[in-house]
Amino acid sequence: MATTSSKLLQLAIPLVKSHGFTREALSQSVLYLPKPHTEPLPDTAISALFGKGDDARRTLLNAWLEDARRRMREEAGSSEPRPPCIRHVLRSRLTMNEPVLDHLPEAFALLATSSSVLPVDPSPIMMHAAYVADDACWIADPSAKELSWYTRRASLSTVYLTAELHQLTSPKTAESFLDYLLDNRDTVEEVIQEVALYEKVGKP
Amino acid sequence: MLSCLHRRVCRASTCARQLSTRASEVYTNPSKARYEAVSASPRDITPDQRRVLDAALRVDQAGELAANWIYRGQMAVLGGDPKIGPLIQEMWDQERHHLVVMDKLRIQHRVRPTILSDVAKATGFGLGVATALLGKEAAMACTEAVETVIGEHYDDQLKELDSLSSSHPSMTLLSDVIREFRDDELGHLHVAVDHHSQRAPAHALLSTVVGYGCKVAIELCRKF
Repeated sequence: MATTSSKLLQLAIPLVKSHGFTREALSQSVLYLPKPHTEPLPDTAISALFGKGDDARRTLLNAWLEDARRRMREEAGSSEPRPPCIRHVLRSRLTMNEPVLDHLPEAFALLATSSSVLPVDPSPIMMHAAYVADDACWIADPSAKELSWYTRRASLSTVYLTAELHQLTSPKTAESFLDYLLDNRDTVEEVIQEVALYEKVGKP
Repeated sequence: MLSCLHRRVCRASTCARQLSTRASEVYTNPSKARYEAVSASPRDITPDQRRVLDAALRVDQAGELAANWIYRGQMAVLGGDPKIGPLIQEMWDQERHHLVVMDKLRIQHRVRPTILSDVAKATGFGLGVATALLGKEAAMACTEAVETVIGEHYDDQLKELDSLSSSHPSMTLLSDVIREFRDDELGHLHVAVDHHSQRAPAHALLSTVVGYGCKVAIELCRKF
């Protein structure tokens, strides 16, 4: 059963671009099997395989995020013998968001409402940024050790998450904003405060 | 304590290893950097086994870091002694090699370092200085206690690694490296005993406290 659901998740990932992180994308995935079904998966089957309600959507979202990290690692691996720098790795990861940019705000909302206790829980979003930063550090700078191993990841996950949130509102300037954050990593905290202030001012 | 026979076996295997190539040398030989055993990590282990491997390498790297700083502390006090100084330096040089290899193992298997690295360094240095200030025998008693715990720890780890049941070449190499390091640490233990560690003031108390501290440190570094 686990193998079937993971195969269907892999087939549903390319459908996110057109269908979003929806149960519909999961339902349509069976139409792309090597021996395709004649009809999409019924809702009961989606619930059985991937979870009820928004849980199925979160399963698809987590699979998409993991797939993006895998592609990030593969792209870095194909640039041997010289490993890419952090800047290129994070830019590459931001580029992967572009085909599904319209669906990402809702995706982040899905992640933030995944807790059964808290109404809003930002920790899954922060974990997503932490995983990206961790992979980027292993690709570009694996030799960091002791406390710098942790501080580097903490600062990069903040940089990446800030750049990603900026990308949702201004995709064309996302790369330059990422460059700015990386160049000024010491003042990241100040920038985050400015972004939050801008969002408050910008809201009608 | 090890029996006389075990001591002779360990001395013999250490000598034999010195004559033949040491397993850990592949990590310090640049021409072997691309060997799969040195550059890749097994993918055929379960998440639980991965956690075991993770914790094992984190503890080992932290332990070698602490051992380096213990010897650094001892050298700061006893480095000028014509007999003990060179002895501590030789053991410290070996621990330096262990740390270099452990750092590479950690990167190879993508294991996070312990967040207690700075604590390990400070505590190790403090222990080295404090025991060296008590005298040469106390410094050797500290080495005896630490290396006893580390030797047993590596022995337990070899059994743990055997249970991972992976066919990946890096696992065989890892077991060989740990076995080599275990024998090195037991060699240090013998050196300490041969240089009158058991004449240290309050030897039993010192050994118990240091040994217990090492065991606590191992458990903390496993998790953190």
